[in-house]
Amino acid sequence: MAILTLVFSYLSRVSIPNYASWLLIALLIWRFFQVGTSQGLSCIVGNPSLVTKVYVPRYLIVLSNNLANFIGSSLEFLVLLPLLVWWGVGLTVYALILPFLLILEFLLVFALSLSLSALNLKYRDINQVWEIALQLGFFLSPIVYSASIIPARFQLYYSLNPVTRLMEAGREIFLDKRLPTPFDAGVILSSIILFLALGLLIFGRLEKRFAEEL
Amino acid sequence: MPVLAVQDVWKRFRIPHEKRSTVLDHIAGALSVLEGKRYAYEEFWALKQVSFGLEEGESVGIIGANGSGKSTLLKLVAGVMKPELGTIKTRGAIAPVLELGIGFHGDLTVKENAMVYGVLMGLHRSEMKKKTETILDFAGLTRFQDAKLKTLSSGMAVRLAFSIAIETKADIFLIDEALAVGDIEFQEKCLDKFRELKKEKRTIVLVSHSMGLIREFCEKTLYLLNGQVRAFGPSESAVSQYLEDLTTVA
Repeated sequence: MAILTLVFSYLSRVSIPNYASWLLIALLIWRFFQVGTSQGLSCIVGNPSLVTKVYVPRYLIVLSNNLANFIGSSLEFLVLLPLLVWWGVGLTVYALILPFLLILEFLLVFALSLSLSALNLKYRDINQVWEIALQLGFFLSPIVYSASIIPARFQLYYSLNPVTRLMEAGREIFLDKRLPTPFDAGVILSSIILFLALGLLIFGRLEKRFAEEL
Repeated sequence: MPVLAVQDVWKRFRIPHEKRSTVLDHIAGALSVLEGKRYAYEEFWALKQVSFGLEEGESVGIIGANGSGKSTLLKLVAGVMKPELGTIKTRGAIAPVLELGIGFHGDLTVKENAMVYGVLMGLHRSEMKKKTETILDFAGLTRFQDAKLKTLSSGMAVRLAFSIAIETKADIFLIDEALAVGDIEFQEKCLDKFRELKKEKRTIVLVSHSMGLIREFCEKTLYLLNGQVRAFGPSESAVSQYLEDLTTVA
């Protein structure tokens, strides 16, 4: 992460103020999403005895895996805060919104992990598929570049990505020092509801046969 | 009301005749369906119309050849799998001892592992805190309580798991060949513990090939043959039926 910050802030010489903090905020949000979903994906397949030898509500396996990542990412953000002060960005009362952003991201990660972990039993190569999707996602989110370089006709589709919205919201509370926009909140909340419904549906349907597929 | 009531339970497994476990396989499979081929799998009924019931304080032994459905039945009772048809009703807490040491993590200490395992077995954290001492004492591991689990011998780890499972004080114990653990001294201790459980009127569901154990601990025995109930009743008669079948086949 330090390397990415160095490379992009020194080599690219972009005209974004506070580029290091700007980059790091999005990067930490991305890391939570990436690590959270890819570990969530393999948590059922990776713990066969928890599924086949004892009855534990299966969603708890996913939930505990995601919670561990949630705590890890929260700690990473805790390191970011003094850095922001050190880099002269400073902190305002809007930084208090961060926990809510992280909780929303956690819900999004949980929703996706439910579908992915259940599908992983049937389709064992879904982790490769997801890995590629994540690679694409990294470049389809405004992490190393600003969303404003996207051509106007793609802007709408581009901005509907909930992870993009989380990143923009993070930058708003720390750098622009204001509340996230209603658009951010709307996209994030509706995608959580959508993916959670989908996740519960898929997980609920496939759960009955977990013990046989493992 | 019975402690355990299994009513007309059917369980089906699928035996696939082609490998379909990846996205790629499924795409290829879907294309071959277009060519008129069907997704080939055979049905295998592991359990066929199995019924039995246990009253309070009764224990049952499950016997039968390999592949006759004993473990499947145990997993259904544990709630790990769901039957295709039929109902399974249980009363009280269940302690599944289908495998020992589920969720054990080598880098945690013996005490921490005991905690995790206890919670998995359905005990509350606070209960578990109170019981840890008794458990470690029974397992003979008090000295090692703060050692990492991976530094213990595998026998010691299994002893720990078994002690926790017994200490859960569940109403129904599901035990799958778990007795072959530890040294002779520990085995004796386990049998004593079992006698205690019996005195406390707890139900034991024991899958075993040891007719001696079945005769000692189980009033009733369920003899499965190819997924069907061949005999269910007092252990003596079911066991002799099993032994008789063995001699006639051989």
